[in-house]
Amino acid sequence: MVWGVSISWYLFLAGLGAGSFIFAIVSGWKNPEAGKVKFAGMLVGLVAVAFGTLLLVFDAKAGLQNPARFFCLLSNPTSVMSWGTGLLSVFLIIDFIELILLGVKKSTPKVLDWIGVVTALGVAIYTGLLLGAAAGFPLWNIGILPILFLVSAISTGFAAGSLAGRCASSEQLAHISFDHKLTIWLPAVEAALIMLLLAVTAGTTGSGAAAATKSVAALLSGSYALCFWLGLIVVGLVVPFVLEFLAQKKNSRSAIPFAQVCVMVGGFILRYLIIAAAVSVVF
Amino acid sequence: MSDRKLGMLIDLSLCIGCNACVVACKQENEIPLTKFNTWVESFDVEKGAGTARANLPKLCNHCKDAPCVTVCPTGASYRTAEGVVLVNHDKCIGCKYCMAACPYSVRWVDDGTGEVHKCTFCYHRTSEGLLPACVSTCVTGARMFGDFNDPESDVSKKLKAGGGGDVLLSDYNLEPSVHYIGLKDIEAMPVASAVVHGGNVHTPYGGR
Repeated sequence: MVWGVSISWYLFLAGLGAGSFIFAIVSGWKNPEAGKVKFAGMLVGLVAVAFGTLLLVFDAKAGLQNPARFFCLLSNPTSVMSWGTGLLSVFLIIDFIELILLGVKKSTPKVLDWIGVVTALGVAIYTGLLLGAAAGFPLWNIGILPILFLVSAISTGFAAGSLAGRCASSEQLAHISFDHKLTIWLPAVEAALIMLLLAVTAGTTGSGAAAATKSVAALLSGSYALCFWLGLIVVGLVVPFVLEFLAQKKNSRSAIPFAQVCVMVGGFILRYLIIAAAVSVVF
Repeated sequence: MSDRKLGMLIDLSLCIGCNACVVACKQENEIPLTKFNTWVESFDVEKGAGTARANLPKLCNHCKDAPCVTVCPTGASYRTAEGVVLVNHDKCIGCKYCMAACPYSVRWVDDGTGEVHKCTFCYHRTSEGLLPACVSTCVTGARMFGDFNDPESDVSKKLKAGGGGDVLLSDYNLEPSVHYIGLKDIEAMPVASAVVHGGNVHTPYGGR
């Protein structure tokens, strides 16, 4: 694979940051008094996406040595990466403006909130499209990856936003509950999408069949099997699901921060595996 | 728009796997060690009751519907009027998206500059009426180069005689400008050895 682990980190951070921003916005809508939680979630969004973008810049060595070339980045309307550059730029600007407004104790305009949410959704979805547009890798299914990455972005972003909110003000966070119903089912949806991705990949016909089989085998029983089953499935999906389920049953959210850390670990492992286990048609 | 469509035709029955094309290309284009604009994949195939040696030269296919050009965010990758896919290095940021998008895996990164390179059909030569280095050095005439749109060109005549030729990954519908004669025959025969590139094992066979 031409892309290394820094691109996996980027895909993870972009999704997490976008999700955290959405968590912050919706928290602000549902609980206008929870300003500290909103600020914390937005700060995570800005820092994660900015750091992720920086990883991209450092991975693009020719651009790093000739920074003026980065100004060409928006010049190809057919390139998903050009779309992504636009989305990341708008997202970072909006997140920054909202943080400033919150910092000076002003309320954020609803229109800006909405543009921010749509842009954040765009950032999360485009990371999947980015890979999906590369036709040489059967594992990168353009129909499934964008949805899978969106679900993972919401999952990891809500986890990060909630954790940050807890650090900022656990009293304020205690009043925020809109995410509880969602976070219990997101791991199940994600698991279903992962299985669908593997099934569709395994069903690849034509020139891509051999590469598709190699990718699926590497994940399920090959060199990435331990990482897949233990890291992604057990730590990233099963443990958070069980802990969220028990939390609702016992009405105690004391174990939830641990579940949220697991969600984030799983979110990174998902991006890592999707990149690392991708086998090209010609190999 | 030029009405020329430059392309390469490789007759696999003539390729002896001597790698002269690979060396000529490396000399002509000053390709760094471990990087290749073209290479020859050599392997045994089961043919009837016996075994035959297959030699399959590969290079950028200069697709009409080139995924590398579609995904390049800066417009560094582009297609000339004659259908040659090139990289404008003054625009390349080294994001490697083109490499990920190319199903033929023909692009490589310069370790020093970070810029992405590939076969240019020796554009500096062919735009002056010369042949690409790999073609002009080919000892058996297996590689031919010319205008696919000109019915009187050598490639067009041979292509017509050869029934239109085959392309790699035909089900991807990228309309490559590199055609092969005898490719379907080779693809139909089971591989019976490791695949070597110039003497180095590229794809091991049966764990060896």
